[in-house]
Order: sequence, then C-alpha cells, then structure tokens
Amino acid sequence: MADNFKSLKAKKFLSMLSDRQARFESGKAELTEISDNAMALAKALHPKRQYLKIESITERGEDCRSYTLVPDGERTEKLAYFSAGKYLTVFETIEGMPVTRAYSISSSPAEALEGKYVLTVKLVEGGLVSRFIFDNWEIGRAVEVSAPSGNFEYQPLRDAEKVICVAGGSGITPFISMAKAICDGDEDFELTLLYGSRNYKTVLFAQELAELEKKCDKIKVINVISDSKVRVKKADEKGFITAELIKKHAPENEPYSVFICGPQQMYDFLDGELGKLNIEKKYIRHEMFGEFRNPASQEDYPAGVPEKVTVKVKVQDKTYTVEGNSADSLMQTLEKNGIAVPARCRSGECGFCHSHLLSGKVYVPKSMEYRRLADYKFGCIHPCCSFPLTDIEMEVPAAK
Amino acid sequence: MKTYDVIVIGAGNGGLAAAATCAKAGLSTLLLERHNIPGGSASSFVRGRFEFEPSLHELAGMGTDEAPGQIKDMFDRFGGDVDWCSHESTFRLIVPAKEGDKDAFLNDQGVWVTVDARMPVGFENFARKLDELVPGSYESCMKAFDLSGRMFKALDALGNPKQLPSSIKDLPDIMRMVSHTMKEALDALGMPEKAQDIFNTYWCYMGSPASKFDFLYYMAVLHSYVEHGTSIPRLRSHEMSLAIDKVIRDAGGEIWYNSEVTKVLMKHGKPEGVVINGEKEVYGKYFICNSSPNSVWKDLFIERDIPEKQLRMLNTRKVACTLTTVYLGMNRTKEELGITDYSVFVAPYSDSDRQYEAAQNYFSGYCIINCLNEIIPDCTPEGTCQLFLTTMTFGDVMKDVRPQDYKRFKTKVAEDMIETCEKALNISIKPYIEEIEIALPPTFARYLNTPWGTPYGYMLEKWDSMIPRTVQYMQDQPFENFLFCGASQERGDGYGCAYYTGEKAGGIVVKAIQKEGK
Repeated sequence: MADNFKSLKAKKFLSMLSDRQARFESGKAELTEISDNAMALAKALHPKRQYLKIESITERGEDCRSYTLVPDGERTEKLAYFSAGKYLTVFETIEGMPVTRAYSISSSPAEALEGKYVLTVKLVEGGLVSRFIFDNWEIGRAVEVSAPSGNFEYQPLRDAEKVICVAGGSGITPFISMAKAICDGDEDFELTLLYGSRNYKTVLFAQELAELEKKCDKIKVINVISDSKVRVKKADEKGFITAELIKKHAPENEPYSVFICGPQQMYDFLDGELGKLNIEKKYIRHEMFGEFRNPASQEDYPAGVPEKVTVKVKVQDKTYTVEGNSADSLMQTLEKNGIAVPARCRSGECGFCHSHLLSGKVYVPKSMEYRRLADYKFGCIHPCCSFPLTDIEMEVPAAK
Repeated sequence: MKTYDVIVIGAGNGGLAAAATCAKAGLSTLLLERHNIPGGSASSFVRGRFEFEPSLHELAGMGTDEAPGQIKDMFDRFGGDVDWCSHESTFRLIVPAKEGDKDAFLNDQGVWVTVDARMPVGFENFARKLDELVPGSYESCMKAFDLSGRMFKALDALGNPKQLPSSIKDLPDIMRMVSHTMKEALDALGMPEKAQDIFNTYWCYMGSPASKFDFLYYMAVLHSYVEHGTSIPRLRSHEMSLAIDKVIRDAGGEIWYNSEVTKVLMKHGKPEGVVINGEKEVYGKYFICNSSPNSVWKDLFIERDIPEKQLRMLNTRKVACTLTTVYLGMNRTKEELGITDYSVFVAPYSDSDRQYEAAQNYFSGYCIINCLNEIIPDCTPEGTCQLFLTTMTFGDVMKDVRPQDYKRFKTKVAEDMIETCEKALNISIKPYIEEIEIALPPTFARYLNTPWGTPYGYMLEKWDSMIPRTVQYMQDQPFENFLFCGASQERGDGYGCAYYTGEKAGGIVVKAIQKEGK
C-alpha cells in the first residue's frame, strides 16, 4: 500500500485549539450528577464511620454478652452490608483515652439488610475495653463503629467446597455469621464446626448452633469438650482439637479448607497439628487474634530492653513527648496518653495505622508481620504491633 | 496561623511530584492525603505471603543511565531511591478464534487463534516481526517510528506555549499526527489493517480506540516501549511512592496522612485555605490539586464559587474507562503453570474499536494477564508466583448491582476473567489459587474517589488530546492560585503522565512565588 501521509491536512491542527474551547463553551454551566453506582456501592459498603445505638443485650453465660446494634437514624440510616466473617472496629473513649477494639460480627449479612448487627463481647481478664463495655453499654447507648473490615471470609475461587471451621471460646462469632449466611443462601459451602470448650456451660450460642444444624444440612456442629470429667454427647468429642480429630471429620479424598478463629494459644498449638495433615497452605485461613501481649516472652525478643522509654510523636502539626512501657505496643502507649491513633485490626494485618518511624528501634512479633517490603526500606511501621526497644521518634497520621 | 506557600491536595503520583518539586525549591509545602499511605494507584497490598502490585503494568521511557527517560530522570533529580527492574519485551497479543473464523490457526500452545503476536523490543525487530505476521507492513511500521522519533525531539518544547509556534512550524508532520486519529494516520501510511490491529495493542493504556485517539500520543507511548522495553520497581509501586514521600520530608515538606480535605475556603473569589476532616483549617497561597475535578467541584466547593468554565468542562468531557483487576497469589511457579510472558493481551476481537464497543459491557472477554515473576523472579516465595488480570469497561457498568449482590457479582466477573485466561493460554489457574483479591470499579472509586472509579481521568479523544490539553493548560485551570494535576490533566493516565503534570504544576507555583519574592 502506498504512503499517503503527506496527504493528511496539517492545517487541521490550527483549528483544534479553538474548536476545543468552543466545545467546552457548549457545555452546560451547572453541576450535574452523573449516574455512578460504582461510587454509591463504595460508599454503601465502606462508610467512614457508622453511628449506631444499642437495641438489646443478650447474656451468654457468665462473662459474655451479645449486643444488638441498629442505626442511630440520624447520622447513619442504613448499615453497611458485609460478607460473613468480617469484623467491626468499635471506637470508645475511656477516661480521656481514645481506644478501639475489633469484634467479629456474629449476626448474618441478611440481618444487616434488616438494620441489625450483633457484636458478641467476652469479658477479658484485666481487659480494659471489654470491662468498659460490660460496665457502660446499656440499651439506647450510642456506639460508633467502622465499616465491616477484614479478610476472613469464604472465597469460592480459592477455598474448598467443604470447610472445617475450628473455633475456640469467643472465636465462634464469625462462624455463627457464616453458618447463618449458608442457611440464608448467601454463602454456599459445607461447614463442619469443631468448637473447643472447657465444658458445656462455656459453649456460646449452643441453642443457635443446634437450630442452624437442624435447619440446614450443610452445617454440622461438633463440640470438643476438654474437661475430662464432663460426659460428652454422642455427636461430640472429648479432649482438644488435634490433627487426628480434624482428619476424622474431614472429607476423604477431596480437598477441604480449615478456617481457624480463637485465642493466640490455640493458633500456636494448631500450627503444629496442621503441619501433620499436609494440607496446602491455601486451604488454611486464620482470623487474626487481636492485640499481642507480652512480647518479651517471644524467643527472638532481644535482651536488655529498658522498661521505660520516651516516645516523641508528631501528629499533623502537633508534637507530643510521652513516657511509655516497652511491654506496650506503640499504639497502646499513645492511646494511654490520650493521643488518638488510626486503628482498625490491631493485629498488624490491615495496615491502617501505617506510620513513619523517624528514630529508634522496635520489635515486631513474627506472627504480626504484614508490612510491605518498601516499608522496611523506608522505615515504616504498624504501631499496633510495634514494641519499642529504645526511645522512639515517630510520625503518626491523624485518627479519622 | 501559619500560611503555607503551597498546599497539595492528594498524594497520588501527581501530588507527590508536585509536593516534591515545591519542597525541593524551598517552598513551605503541605501535602494532604485522605488515605494512610501515599501513591493513590501507586501502592501495594499484602495478602498472606504475597505482596501485590495493584496497578502498575509497565513504566515506559525509563531510558538508560546515560539517557534517562522522563521517570528515571525525575527520580534521579529528586534523589528518590528506587531499585528499577527492566525487561526486554513489549507485549503479546492473542485473539482466540471464534467459530467460523477462516484465518484461525493452532499456535504453539495448542490454542486456536486468529492473532498471536509476541512483539520484541527495538524498532527494526518490531517492524520485522510485524512484517513476518502481516507481510507488507514493514515499511509503514518503520515510517511510523521515524515520525515518532522526530516528534519526540519537538515534544519537549510543547510544555511552553511561547516556543510552540516555532517548533511546530517546521514540522507539519507533527501537526498531521496531532490532528489525525491512529486509524487515519496508519491508513495513510499504508499499513495493512491486520498489522494495525497488532500495532495498536497498547490503546487500552490510554483507554481510547484507534478511531478516536490521536496518532501522536499513541506513537509517543508505543515508541517508548519499543525503544527500551519495560521497567517496574522491585518492591512494587509502594517503593516509588515512599521514595518520593522521603524526598518531600527530607526537603522540609510536610505530609499529613488520614487528612482529607473536606472543603476549600474562599476569599475574594479565590481559594485561601482548606478544611481537613471537617474540623481543622489550614491556609495556603497556592493550591495544587491531584483529586478528580468531578469530586472537587461536587464535594469541596459550593456551586456559586465554581468558575462557570469548569462546570462546562465537566459537562463536555467523557469520564474515561474503569478497570477490574483480579490479583492472584499462586501456589505454583510460572513454569509449572506454563506462563511464558510478562504481559499478554487477550482480546475478543482483533481491532480496538470493536474491543472498545465490547467493553461497554461486563465482561467483554478482553483481559490482560501479567506475571510479575517474569521480571522479578523472587517477588513471591519459592514455589509460587503472582498474576494479575485486568479488564476495562466504560460507563456505569455496576448500575444494577446492589450491595448484597456485590460479592457474587465480583466472584463471577473474576471467574469469567480467569477462565478466559485459562483458555487463551491453555493453562490451568483455578486449582492453584492461594490468595485472591478482586478490585472492581467500586474498589477503585473507594481508593481514588473518581467517577465510576476511573483511574484514567477523562477520555482522551482527538479533540481533547494531549497536545491541545498541554497548550491550553493554563486557560483550563480554575483559579490563578489553584492548579490541577494528575490523570485528569494533559496526558491522561499513567504514572509518568501523572508525575509530569505534578512536576509541571509545582514548577509553575515555584516560579510564581519566586516572582512574588523579587
């Protein structure tokens, strides 16, 4: 084919500039809304905050309560929908200290559409926030929470069709939501629950679980009772959740996923047990276990760390210098000194508290290490799981 | 109360470059970002044992140490510390055969295709390969590269309107390139249609098909990739963004994260400050805004304060394309999976206009497959690799999706994309997915705060293409002390384009303040 490039009119360029401005002139001089459901979905699923109030409280044994939260009707009209397994971060101020805690949602996604979340809180021995909630949360009280967050959920393109869910204590909460979602047809997988408790009295949601199992043949509940003096029911198991027990209830000759949610000690034990089963990594999902305590108990924790440290922190145009304890995370130290820190998961994973370490050294427990590679290169940390080893200078984003 | 010389709104690529330019010139600089990390699209995220690259496909024009391209040059001048990784490849285009296609053939992976073009680096190599695939296309291809080579020399002058007439006058060919579409120009050069389809593969990087997009800008992009191949940062784009964050801090600039501008304060008809997170006021002489004009006018101003022209512009321009990306952490290596290329474009039709038509709907069958390990072999743990699949759509494609349908909807889109790639490459992906994250337009809308979640700004069409936007940049700005930068501006989307607009806006402010000082 011939080259006719020179036949293209170069002069066409000359009118382009005036044509463009003329085209702008033809536009309406008013602010018009374009149809934008992508943005509407983003806002509906990820509101910055949700302003709720407590509608009812259910006692679940001695030291556990479920709080039903509904929109306050003023600042929040509708609850953000979520997929089962997500958590909400609760924002509270305790004696001038801004604090946060993440609690898995134990109600179903369908209930969120009806305007209801349920958070189930277990009283932690010596726990600051759970104690505060038990003492102060009453019907009608206002509660501020985040959007549903977290990555602990069933993902059909990744997970097996059959899932062994291993729960310990209040770690049962996300599985209640998942089981309800299966019953409602919002999730589609077979859920076998291995639920570890000391005795039947400490089993949470016993009645709900029995009903869910009865209602839906994709759900199977097995209580694993550790107190050897207790007589266990026929369908249940004695002892602890071991590799052998998981294998016994797992499907044969087909892949299965294992979802785990419980206290830190349970993860430590199960990591060893799961190693025996030779399950591909993709089939093992952990929920985070929240705040890390007692870093000095870790093998790789260095020697000679001073008990008291000085922390100098810049937030926007303000600088504070405070005293901290090396056993507390930097986030805890700041909160104890009345400095609000952006916080969501408090487990290192979500990265919401991403901050700049300007000088000093910190210890980060291996299990909480979710920083990005460039964070190491440029000295960025997640204060929720960074424990000071020396005096610290840092810059933290404003809490929002 | 302190008044900053310049307040930069948004720490996307444009805002970072603008703030670095101002801070390094000694201006008191405040960069405000509503998220907790810099970069906007230039970021990363961790899932399990994988750290994913969220948006960067490839950086063009990195150049060499001796002759650095625009991005490398900027990082060098800033002193931004990034470990660059480069790769000698451009793209591979696969068009799977449909029933009844007469020109279908079986490729070396055992897939029936009508096009399978793996294009090399180097103008001569590229043209020869094109000629091998479509005989008779060598000459027109070389002519196109000759035009772009000459055009590049003149391009530098275009940022300065005063130099424009003299540099353009001698070069009518450049005027031809600006004022004609890819299709018009390649037809005139005599390039066979099938060769044009391969030649135009990168159209999706600009989001405008061959019949709408100007030839000059397309050639600028293609030329850069073919000349030097592709580059990416070793530690994902987060490394680039944190590197500039450090440049700004080291130069005495301030960056406040989690600090969202919720209002612009006006005095005597021009901006004098901003409100942060609805509560805190800060004041500045100049403002550089990296946020989308749509969001800025809607959320930060009252209508009476908005210059009429800005509203007319909003109502004239088309919002550009939106993306959907599936990030996959695989528990097999790329060799085990059978992946042999960094970047494969799978298209349902060979020509870009039909691809564009199809992309008005979800899911059109158009999908780009990237395997980061091809460039950075150790970017994931041993025995694994990471892939990301990208498709684009135009318009409010999510319009009928309710929050409760969203998870099912996005899983279905991801599954369709994965299956398309499995078929096109004759490989198996699904059983080996260890981590998956799916970003749809709402995901991008959440992080970028743009209409439909577009990362691309406004559609680059011939009438509103790079050159007219560049020449008329100043007259398109809303206030003398408030300049936009980023994807909505001269060059549309792309890291280099956003950096360029940020540096340029920063430079304008630096000059203005230096002038005031005299």
